[in-house]
Amino acid sequence: MVDVSINGQSRRLDADPDMPLLWALRDLLDLTGTKYGCGIAQCGACTVHVDGEPVRACVTPLSAVAGRKVTTIEGLHPEGKHPVQQAWVDAQVPQCGYCQSGQIMSAAALLAKNPNPSDADIDAAMEGHLCRCGTYQRIRTAIKRAATS
Amino acid sequence: MNEMTLSRRGALKATAAAAAALVLPVEAPAQQLPNDGLFAPAEPPARIGAPKAYIRIAADGRATIFSPTSETGQGTHTGHAMIFAEELGLPLDRITVEVGQPGPDFRRIQGNEMNSGGSLGTRYWYAPFRKVAAQAREMLVAAAAQRLGVPAGELRTAEGRVVHTASNRSLGFGELVEAAMALPVPENPTLKPEGEHRLLRQPTQRLDVPPKVRGAAKYGSDVTLPNMVYAVVKLSPVFRGELDSFDKASIASIPGIIDVVPLPSGVAVVANSTWAAMRGAKAINVRFKPTPHDGMDSETFSARMREGLGRPGHVNKNDGDIDAVFASAARVVEATYEVPYLAHACMETDNCTARINADGSVELWLPTQHQDFVQGAVSRVLGVPRERITVNTTWAGGGFGRRYGWGAAEHAAAVAKAVGRPVKLIWTREDDLGQGYYRPAQVARMRAALDASGKVIGFHFKASGPGTGTDLRPYTIRNDFDPTSVQSVADTRYRFGAFRTEYVRVDGPPIPWIWRAVGSTQCGYFVECFLDEVAQAAGKDPLALRRELLAHDARALNVVNTAAEKGGWGTPLAPGRHRGIAYVESYGSLVAEVAEVSVTNGAVRVHKVTVAIDCGEFVNPETIAQQAEGGVVMGLSAALHEGIVMKNGRAENTNFDSYTPMRIAEAPVVETHIIRSGQTIGGVGEPPLPPAAPAMVNAIFAATGKRVRTLPVDRTDLRT
Repeated sequence: MVDVSINGQSRRLDADPDMPLLWALRDLLDLTGTKYGCGIAQCGACTVHVDGEPVRACVTPLSAVAGRKVTTIEGLHPEGKHPVQQAWVDAQVPQCGYCQSGQIMSAAALLAKNPNPSDADIDAAMEGHLCRCGTYQRIRTAIKRAATS
Repeated sequence: MNEMTLSRRGALKATAAAAAALVLPVEAPAQQLPNDGLFAPAEPPARIGAPKAYIRIAADGRATIFSPTSETGQGTHTGHAMIFAEELGLPLDRITVEVGQPGPDFRRIQGNEMNSGGSLGTRYWYAPFRKVAAQAREMLVAAAAQRLGVPAGELRTAEGRVVHTASNRSLGFGELVEAAMALPVPENPTLKPEGEHRLLRQPTQRLDVPPKVRGAAKYGSDVTLPNMVYAVVKLSPVFRGELDSFDKASIASIPGIIDVVPLPSGVAVVANSTWAAMRGAKAINVRFKPTPHDGMDSETFSARMREGLGRPGHVNKNDGDIDAVFASAARVVEATYEVPYLAHACMETDNCTARINADGSVELWLPTQHQDFVQGAVSRVLGVPRERITVNTTWAGGGFGRRYGWGAAEHAAAVAKAVGRPVKLIWTREDDLGQGYYRPAQVARMRAALDASGKVIGFHFKASGPGTGTDLRPYTIRNDFDPTSVQSVADTRYRFGAFRTEYVRVDGPPIPWIWRAVGSTQCGYFVECFLDEVAQAAGKDPLALRRELLAHDARALNVVNTAAEKGGWGTPLAPGRHRGIAYVESYGSLVAEVAEVSVTNGAVRVHKVTVAIDCGEFVNPETIAQQAEGGVVMGLSAALHEGIVMKNGRAENTNFDSYTPMRIAEAPVVETHIIRSGQTIGGVGEPPLPPAAPAMVNAIFAATGKRVRTLPVDRTDLRT
């Protein structure tokens, strides 16, 4: 049994504490906005917030989030209108979109700490994310747009 | 994904049959290519009102478009919706796009296949969709004319209504559907004149973006069914290896394991969660049969391809007396180039969810680019006729040609049959990168003959290596000739004088596959970098040489000139920066790119790429810009960093710690210029990719004086 707060709700999960948070979210809670991309924390598609910090859910065991607050893309904003999500729409960032949940979670965490990131700050915060559709230019634009909104 | 969503299509169909709904297909395509068993048999033409249709307008005035194209990120669904919205006079937000079931209405004339390849989603369907939409509009207008007692000529459509301005009356599409259905379908509807267009060619936000930023978009791997089990495969790490034996007991201690199902190339571990299945797949003891290539590595295979260059190949183009021209040449330039195997590395790995119903019918949910291949493959695995297999196409986390494959679908079908429950089967990243389906490795030797004035009077292109068709479409290979191996070369607009293209088939261990822009990826690099060598030998500017070779072709010249002008060719640069240019035509579109590059201590930095694309006609400039940006990044990424490293018959780099696509810090600014030439509409998803690598590599030469003739660039030491 693992007790964890997911998107503001207390959940008691009857699961092996070694199960990565990614699979608990997807298979046990049907929160499928968080994606599997590599399983080794190299692509960022599984990024969620744990107590506000971006973490890779694919290498984070459930035991590590016991008693902590997990936020997924579904819980970032009640209507999906977080400034980063809106900037992503305005800049028309996604193509296939599969990596974008993770990208958005990292961008939101960046802007929460650093409301005016430089290009180097953006590079540092987003370097852990792969986008095979090559939307990087628009990600940069969207982060800057969200920063000024 | 919940059950209501999954069964929505069926529910809508039932409703449509009972209630009013205007449904329209166009004339059905005909079969032209041979049937190799994977393809569906030829079917009779569909009729108006058949359940498989392109558009259904329901009594609530909303329209559903059944698209033949999978949405893998290229934005085609929004383009299709725009075409219908414009021609009908219906707001975009009242249109929903779904992918249809494989059937004659959705197969293109070329190939008799329902697939999403060849950058054809918009270019093939643009004209027929405009026609269908215009037919529907004229039927709605005719119904309104009867109802209002006015001539049809006095009516127009707007905002989902048929409007009679003079009497200030209007009727909603939904109110007219039942009457419209009873009317004859006009054979030659009048298309809306360009002057009245409000949506076509305007930058338009994509319909799929809002759900994609909320985490609400459902991809294949997000499908959930009641009573579903999870499966993860363990496949032979050696390419094309087959299962010998496995020890189920070796994972008996892992909680949650339900079963182990043998497959031709390995096993599927079935469990009550993905994680348990992954643990089992990693731990299970499996033995594979030996293969003839157990000892093959990249170096040996490279040598084998280069040996191929010494053998005569299949000559498919042979203009002029090339031997005489080379014998008389004042100067001959020659170089050999090489590219490695490349993975698509779609962010979503191959997957399929399958259910076998009590009546024996089969339902599949998956992110596929090729519904007919999937349906045919599962039909063979299960012995179930194709018409009893439903293929539900989900959104795909990338495609790039990889999703022409049917591997996960075959596996999921076999597991669903073995365990008697619905199953979601996914491939791990290691399987996805390590099981082949690669852009083939290839080498090319090129020779150019120059006369005394430095004019090109002959060009001989000879490629050697695997083609793309051996496993995908064996019937396309005749006389050991794979046409994709000379793609964008044999049909070039350049005039070289005497011209020969030749290909030597050398098959390799991995399954070769089509990869975004297919043969144009390597051929574009080969020819465009070699042309820079020719320019240097002739003492010419690289742009000037290309203008010379295209002097007869105003359209191509305009593309090259636009890229050069917008990219600042010949103008001063910031210190340390250098430019390169390349021009490649593929999939009906002409693209030239100028790359601005610096090389510092051997490290390449691409600052900016200027893209000029002439795709003839277009629908949504926003998606063209997206595809140009993405194509450039993917092309540069491959050229800089990517290449499967083969050792002992297997891939060594099978996850993103060792197969390393470009990340944000390296991504250049991409500036896109669209040329509307009014020529036949061309593709957009693939054509911007091929020029990116040669433009960059040519700029690297300008910066360093080094010709990078083997990719990826990062395996060459560029420090002096």
